[in-house]
Amino acid sequence: MTGELILVVEDEAPMRRFLCTALASHGFRVAEAGTLAQAERAATEHRPAAVLLDLGMPDGDGLDLLRRLREWSTAPVIVLSARDREDDKVVALDAGADDYLTKPFGTSELLARIRVALRHAREHGRPSEADDPILAVGPMRIDQARHEVIVDGELVHLTPIEFRLLALLARHAGKVLTHRQLLHDVWGPRDTHQTHYLRVHMAALRRKVEADPARPRWLMTEAGVGYRLKDE
Amino acid sequence: MNGSSRLRSYAIAALGVALATLAGELADGRVTLADQAMLYLPAILVAALGGRGPSLVAAALSVAAFDFFFVPPRLTFAVNDARSLITFAVMFGVGTAIGSLVARLRTAEAASRERERRTAALLAFTRDAAAASEVGEVLDAARRHVTELRDDQAFVDAVGHQAAVAVGRLELASAAREAALRAKAEELRSTLLSSVSHDLRTPLAAITGMATSLRDLAGDRSAEEREALDTIVEEAQRLSRILTNLLSITKVESGAEPRREWVPLEEIIGSALTRLERELGGREIGVDVPDGALAHVDPILVEQLLLNLLENAAKHTPPGTSIDVRVSRQPDRAVLEIADRGPGVTAGARVFDKFVRGKTSAPGAGLGLAVCRGIAVAHHGGIDVAARDGGGATFAVWFPDEEPLPEPIESDAP
Repeated sequence: MTGELILVVEDEAPMRRFLCTALASHGFRVAEAGTLAQAERAATEHRPAAVLLDLGMPDGDGLDLLRRLREWSTAPVIVLSARDREDDKVVALDAGADDYLTKPFGTSELLARIRVALRHAREHGRPSEADDPILAVGPMRIDQARHEVIVDGELVHLTPIEFRLLALLARHAGKVLTHRQLLHDVWGPRDTHQTHYLRVHMAALRRKVEADPARPRWLMTEAGVGYRLKDE
Repeated sequence: MNGSSRLRSYAIAALGVALATLAGELADGRVTLADQAMLYLPAILVAALGGRGPSLVAAALSVAAFDFFFVPPRLTFAVNDARSLITFAVMFGVGTAIGSLVARLRTAEAASRERERRTAALLAFTRDAAAASEVGEVLDAARRHVTELRDDQAFVDAVGHQAAVAVGRLELASAAREAALRAKAEELRSTLLSSVSHDLRTPLAAITGMATSLRDLAGDRSAEEREALDTIVEEAQRLSRILTNLLSITKVESGAEPRREWVPLEEIIGSALTRLERELGGREIGVDVPDGALAHVDPILVEQLLLNLLENAAKHTPPGTSIDVRVSRQPDRAVLEIADRGPGVTAGARVFDKFVRGKTSAPGAGLGLAVCRGIAVAHHGGIDVAARDGGGATFAVWFPDEEPLPEPIESDAP
């Protein structure tokens, strides 16, 4: 097998077996770790293309591994967490994790997240593609040079903030961005706690680009975490 | 004081005067007239111990005896010397004064003895009442002690007052004990629930994952096998939602404060509708939200509430019937309404109690609506259900604003 190598860090054996089976059957190579110590060894040894990391490990906090990993690696890290642990997810994302999966999840979600993460990691290393001024996501074409957005062939008028929001989400299409990350990049470092600005502008943006803003197809809310622009 | 003892007091008064006269006669010639007068003072003093009456009688008898036996001309009541009249007056005056003083002293002594008795009895009662561990024991003690001093109204009142204090103390103590017990039971329940939920989650995640793996690999599987795998996945997901509800109710009932922010309700509605896409499939969902309507709520908890209300509507109404979601702003609150076209509600507000289930045979632990109420109450708001015009039920939830509405955000449009 020549697929990309994924490191699975999960202490529960049945869960680990599911992850390894699902990844292997879709052409990935897998390294597994049941403790943080094993995971750290495996990470330096195998240089994985992506890491699946359960935050609640028996021998410590998965966040510590994430922070140490980020000192030398840009490999995407996808955090595995339970539904009622939104704070943990936000902390992990702000500490450099790329995305998260809420347990329970199925193979399709797992593979979609990994593909998005790997794609962004690849694009990150290839500036030519990031320079492309036209971003196409779903029915939207976002022209970064001309500050124009076309949805289903129609030109949509966005305010500068709405445009910056949409373009930022589109550059990270498929990936979750936390409230903090969005506020920081759109408003600047001083306003990272004004979540309600973000929510109000996001609502306005939905009204312009979504067919039914109360049932969004593209601009998804990740409750308690942030937003994600779907890319499928 | 009874009759015979009163008679004795008068006899003592008369005897005292007689003895003083006898003593005066025996000493006659060796002492002056004034000394003889002094001999009557002890007699009056002794008589005074018997009360005011005997002391007056003793004083009068003393004056008469002294005049008759000693004041010249002797053995008559006649008086030669006007000075003797002064002696009589002083004797009588001193006699009555001593009598009244002694009498007053005795009354005070009796009163203080009475007071002491009452205090002792009250003290004994208070001790019994303090030792009592039940209201019945306090009442028994009160009955017992009141019998001792039944005629003393002040005492009976005091016992009544003390009994009331003791009963109050017992009630407070039992309320405190009950509260402590309840808190302990609640804590145990919370710990148990959250540890059970977490322990159930892990295998559930593995089951969901494995079942989806099988489904993905099932290129050559029969329709029946695919359906079985779908059911496993769906049921595992439902179980997971029940666990989330269990954890939510544990959280709101433990008194954790919601993390409130200003949120456009449309966002929460959108997120909930997306997550329930499959359960709501084939239904017409009407959403009516005023432009930019904000609510001061914890977005995660309110999404949970909305998921439960929508899931409840989906479960208890015929497939294909419509569901309407409405939001309205009032000056101090946001109101969220979910209206369905199902059979309506018959259980009234009881549907919000834990483990009360709807009348349809749809499965569920009856926890969803209890969670809804818990979340609304945690926001200091409320939830209500009413029959809907034209059939169905309308659930209304309100969330009061706990800080002033933020200034409308100015559009940055050029």
